[in-house]
Amino acid sequence: MIRKLYMKPAVREFLRILLAITISLGLGFIITLLVSEDPIGAYRAFLTGPVSRINRAGEWIKEAITLTLLGLSVALVFKAKLFSLGAEGQMLLGALVSGTIALFVPLPSVLRIPLALIAGMLVGGLFGALPGYLKAHLNANEIVSTLMLNAIALRVYDYFLIFHIKPEGAGYNASDFFPKEGVLPTFIPNLPFLADAYELFSRRANITIMLYIAIVVVILVWYLMYRTPFGYELRMMGANMKFARYGGIDTKRSVVLTFAISGVVAGLAGAYLGMGIHQKLIANITIGIAFEGIVVALLARNNPVAVPFAALAYGYLRAGADIMERSSDVSREMVLVIQAIIILLVTAERVLPIIQQRVSAMRENNKATAPEEGGQNVV
Amino acid sequence: MPPIIELNDIYKIYPNGVMANKGVNFSVDPGEIHALVGENGAGKSTLMKIIYGMEQPTEGQVIVDGLERHFHSSRDAIDAGIGMVHQNFMLVPSFTVAENIVLGQEPTQRGLLNKQQAIDETIHISEQYGLRVDPEAVVDSINVGMRQRVEILKALYRGANILILDEPTAVLTPQETQELFLAIRKLVEQGKTVIFITHKLREVKEVSDRVTVMRQGEVIGTLPTSEATRESLACMMVGRDVLLSVDKPPSVRGRKVMEIQNLNYIDDTGRCVLEDVSFNIYAGEILGIAGVEGNGQTELVEILTGLRPATSGNALINGNFVLNKTPREVRLAKVSHIPEDRLTNGLALEASINENLIVDRYFRPPYRKGASIDYDKVYELGAKSIEEFGILTPNGDLPVASLSGGNMQKVIVAREFTSEPELLIAAQPTRGIDVGATEFVREQLVKQRTDGTAVLLVSADLGEVMSLSDRIIAIYEGEITGVFPDAASVTEEELGLYMLGIKHQSTEEMEELL
Repeated sequence: MIRKLYMKPAVREFLRILLAITISLGLGFIITLLVSEDPIGAYRAFLTGPVSRINRAGEWIKEAITLTLLGLSVALVFKAKLFSLGAEGQMLLGALVSGTIALFVPLPSVLRIPLALIAGMLVGGLFGALPGYLKAHLNANEIVSTLMLNAIALRVYDYFLIFHIKPEGAGYNASDFFPKEGVLPTFIPNLPFLADAYELFSRRANITIMLYIAIVVVILVWYLMYRTPFGYELRMMGANMKFARYGGIDTKRSVVLTFAISGVVAGLAGAYLGMGIHQKLIANITIGIAFEGIVVALLARNNPVAVPFAALAYGYLRAGADIMERSSDVSREMVLVIQAIIILLVTAERVLPIIQQRVSAMRENNKATAPEEGGQNVV
Repeated sequence: MPPIIELNDIYKIYPNGVMANKGVNFSVDPGEIHALVGENGAGKSTLMKIIYGMEQPTEGQVIVDGLERHFHSSRDAIDAGIGMVHQNFMLVPSFTVAENIVLGQEPTQRGLLNKQQAIDETIHISEQYGLRVDPEAVVDSINVGMRQRVEILKALYRGANILILDEPTAVLTPQETQELFLAIRKLVEQGKTVIFITHKLREVKEVSDRVTVMRQGEVIGTLPTSEATRESLACMMVGRDVLLSVDKPPSVRGRKVMEIQNLNYIDDTGRCVLEDVSFNIYAGEILGIAGVEGNGQTELVEILTGLRPATSGNALINGNFVLNKTPREVRLAKVSHIPEDRLTNGLALEASINENLIVDRYFRPPYRKGASIDYDKVYELGAKSIEEFGILTPNGDLPVASLSGGNMQKVIVAREFTSEPELLIAAQPTRGIDVGATEFVREQLVKQRTDGTAVLLVSADLGEVMSLSDRIIAIYEGEITGVFPDAASVTEEELGLYMLGIKHQSTEEMEELL
């Protein structure tokens, strides 16, 4: 029974991640022992910090939502064996356009919010399609082009923020807070019988309806990837680009489309930064998170359904690390080292497979005396 | 004389449960050429990897030169005087021939590679064994036959006494094969021992002293080659009698399906690869292209299937222009294509068998329903193809990479044949696959043609072209040199003269027959 479970790829994958996390947490503790006066306290802050208070838990979930969207955006591109570092630029423009609508378009919130989100996605998609087009038609390296486009997006964002959006005479580079009509509502509806919960969450941990949107996006991306003709094209390109071409797939079109859809999701993440997390546009709004989608996608092995779990796990690490830094004598740098070890171990493709091979080779050795048990040769 | 290599009761079970060798006993005498034959997946390569130390046997004894050995890596085997030339060459493409040969045991001068000495040693060893190479050529720029010689020299340079060649002729032209055989004989004259893995029974007869046949992980028998016939060997390999000659009903030529007019192709380097190629293909016939590899066949097939743009010319299928269209458009004009390199073009190895079967049809009904792919229909197609084409697999959800070469080819054949083509372009359809699968693919090709499909067959195996085709075109350096309207009446020798450009029919002569 247990063996049967173990044979399931999903179960094995889960065990693999669990083992990697355990080993890396162990290593992390050893490092903490070396650098901290109060290692137990510091490590406790790291491990339990994010769930110790409701507002901390809220911060964790909010960040996990952003990470989920970014992870999906990157997983789409990775699945086609392409590469993209463009999430930053797509988020910035998504935040800029959606934030502008949230701030200035005089519509009621039922119209203003969807309009802002859709506009954010659209601009993210268009900006995302650009490196795709360059790749498909001019064979421009997508790593370089996405990075360069990020730099352009950043300047565009700063220009509009500083010269057009920020209140006149303000001494800081940020917009006003968005009006209530432009802010994503709390995920618990304001209904009489939910009043207590609504109160609690809206005041102390502002998790917004983006929670639901993110779940829908996860399902949509999964469906797109595994059930639609486009998803088939994307996966075949990832498996063997020449095969895709030979089979008649219009690989140029599919490459552009892949980048565009990835940009749509990143644009949505950008809109969420403005309308959900900060509730205003600030300078450097994507700092510290723009490239984290890559880690999440790696953790999730580009599987859209695994992305939210990877985002939760990774978000927890980030949140715990922040709390450890604030509440103990362990420096930010050490926290980053521990984080890096965890990522390294979890994403290392080969750690557990090697152990698995050893173990099964040993088992096969024992079994060799009864060779008729071996499967028929199909290789 | 005691055997130089003796394997006793070798079992090899892979971690995934596949039993590749089941109690194999195998021995090789010093100074002989020993052929090892068997279908794909019969366990030949595993056995050789055990001798070469790349795999460790689960159970059993390996005796080399009378001593029991436990090789932990190929380095141990090399130290024991064993060398192996793999099917896929393992050379550094950007290095020169000499650098590749000495790699790992470089002659050095103050810690740096002594290039001159490397070249001298390469020339020396190359002359000693009669394997001609250019020591200063960069590997990237030399042809497959030369690369193989480099691999062999590399093994000899490391002091190999016993040389294992894993399907050495699979990538060679007939001429190169002959040169290889000469070299092998020379090696044996100088006291080396050669183990030769192959599918091709003709080569077994031609070059080996003894032959061992494997089937499904077991040795079926070892016998002197002089006592073996091709038919008896084939029977031992597949466990039943095989038709080596193809039985086919007479061809009924139908309407003109494809018309190719004055096709020219000049490649990036300015070389004229195809020159003024014109021919027609009719329904219900197999048109074979005979030519030594590298005379434009590859490019011709790629152009006709939309994978490569032509420089000029015209191609029509049922009157519709198909030249310089996309592969999708060509396929929609009812053209199927078995590509010459199945691993590069024909399959996505990590994708499942089912997904490999739908690449030409996932976007249209019945496989597409609304916005999504109807996976029920896909599974249906998979199950049907696996049964109909005898693909050896537990189910269609497994990655194609889990199949043997012959079964991979069956996946391609299943896809290309079930799309109901009017023109089937088959390039090297049986290359590197075992006798059973070869027989199957050939039967299917003939069946398609008898059912009224036009078939264009490109193969480096002249025997295959001659036995399958109804009509043959000879091609040399991108030009058609001869047309033979009745394939049965032309001899191998005569065709050879056209393939080598020695004879050339006049334009008028050919026009009538095209």
